Amino acid sequence: MLKVFGFVRRNKQLSHDDYRAAHVGYHNSFGRRLNNIRGYVLNVRANRSVAESLGPLANRLTRGEPAGFDELWDGWGQLMFDTLDDYLAARSPARDRARPEGLAEDPKVAQVGGDGAYLYTGSPFQFHVVEHVSMPVRRPERKIFKLVQFAKRPDNLSPEEFRAYWSGRYAAHVAQLPGLRGHIVNFRTPLDVMTGFFPPDADAFTAEGTAVRETFYSAWDGMAELWFDNPQQFAEARSGGDLGAALDDLEDGLFASVFYREVDETIAVLPKRDPAPPFYHR
Amino acid sequence: MYKVFAFLKRNTALLTHDEYRAGHVGFHCSHSRRLNGIRGYCVNVQANGDLRDGLGPLYGEVTRNEPSEFAGQWDGFPQVYFDSWDTWTQAATPEPTRATAEGLSVDPDWRLDDGPYLFDPVPDGDGEFRSHHLHMEEHLVVPVQRPERKLTKLMQFFRRNPSLSETDFEEALLGRYAPLTARMVGLHGYTVNFRDPDQESAMRGFFPEQAWGFSDEGRAHRQAFCALWDGAAELFFDSVDAFSAARGDTELHAGLSALERELFEAVWYVEVDENIIVMPNRDPAPEFYYR
Repeated sequence: MLKVFGFVRRNKQLSHDDYRAAHVGYHNSFGRRLNNIRGYVLNVRANRSVAESLGPLANRLTRGEPAGFDELWDGWGQLMFDTLDDYLAARSPARDRARPEGLAEDPKVAQVGGDGAYLYTGSPFQFHVVEHVSMPVRRPERKIFKLVQFAKRPDNLSPEEFRAYWSGRYAAHVAQLPGLRGHIVNFRTPLDVMTGFFPPDADAFTAEGTAVRETFYSAWDGMAELWFDNPQQFAEARSGGDLGAALDDLEDGLFASVFYREVDETIAVLPKRDPAPPFYHR
Repeated sequence: MYKVFAFLKRNTALLTHDEYRAGHVGFHCSHSRRLNGIRGYCVNVQANGDLRDGLGPLYGEVTRNEPSEFAGQWDGFPQVYFDSWDTWTQAATPEPTRATAEGLSVDPDWRLDDGPYLFDPVPDGDGEFRSHHLHMEEHLVVPVQRPERKLTKLMQFFRRNPSLSETDFEEALLGRYAPLTARMVGLHGYTVNFRDPDQESAMRGFFPEQAWGFSDEGRAHRQAFCALWDGAAELFFDSVDAFSAARGDTELHAGLSALERELFEAVWYVEVDENIIVMPNRDPAPEFYYR
């Protein structure tokens, strides 16, 4: 599938929790109606740090975390479409509103609610990822712990080697962690998913917007999504034993830097990886 | 949790079934997903295919006394979850969820005024529409876990064998029938729901006292619908074929069939397409806005 991430910085008029309410509430209510969308997950940075959720393990697993990283994002949406054409056409009026004349188009879907200027600072950092589904996630009917692992490629590995080793041997080890509910590794690509999606005068296309986005990108090359029932489960699974030691060794060679964040996941549209049905479905 | 099924017929003068899907799952849910305090929200739309075709001869074996007028009375039903009856009745209280020039604000466009165009309107009803909002007592037999693909969801509607008391019926269903059903291979989730005998439980406090649903006509409409069934189970499989294969276990099928004859005066299935609007969260609510 075509998977696009959009990392956003909140409008400074909003507190982090205000931003949550506005993104999860009003904004997602339009985002979920984007035409032909196949999945839409919003990840909001958790209020607690990983040091609070994971304890000393967080510090032990972290290496080379860039300073000020959290100043660059409060959350990110991940959008899934069947094709790039579908994605670029998604921001158009949606025929999904019952009116006195029958089913009618709602033009507000084309602007995704039109609240972007009040919700964000600047444009989202919008990019395409290729994903490796190491363990398909199955979500229970409760809030589970989602951990994100950001990592940077070392100079001695080519991008191809980096992807192969992370999604291969390393992911195979991670998949053995007891309690793991899902594991997806994502690699950022240079595919242009901004032209045609953002208006030409968007901050994303200015020199300043480009610079701050590149600063964000310089912090990591790949990121993995991991789901557990709770942080203790990950901490116990990752802390010791032969598997923990093996992962430590692999990370030494695979990552120039590696750090973690907890996010609160909202399922605006449950991702559907099977072919779309011939009717409106979310 | 406080769980409500709301059976809804589309506005047939304005919408086809597939247009109703889009209007309900699209625009309508973009507003209703922001109901204050909502903890879970799925919209189940009757599937376009005929389950008789999918199940073949098995359909006749697992179905008995299906009321012919049942399926035509609704196009879909949302199932919503709240922490309590109190929070359910306060769900329409606006809360700030929109970023504006003034910061986080109450959305002035938040309203559910598409109802009479989307659903079966009450003639001269001043924007009201017919619905069956019913409180359900649920029992999680196999908690559902949803993969990232569309599952097949089968609703098993049933009516109690009148020779059994309500207590004996529920005990036998949960104690004998449900454990056997839970053994079906390929089952992703299984929830048994008993309809609250108080048919107005979910209406009181949620709708105004002068609402059509409390009129003589509204009450008669609801009572006629409720007379057809006493509860419904949700069953999740990969496909209709997977359900058929699971019932193909001869010993299990015989055991289930015997219990169905004993427990149910009527039992039948409806396939629905489930849309996840708010992923149900059965844990305590976090201290921040969360859907």
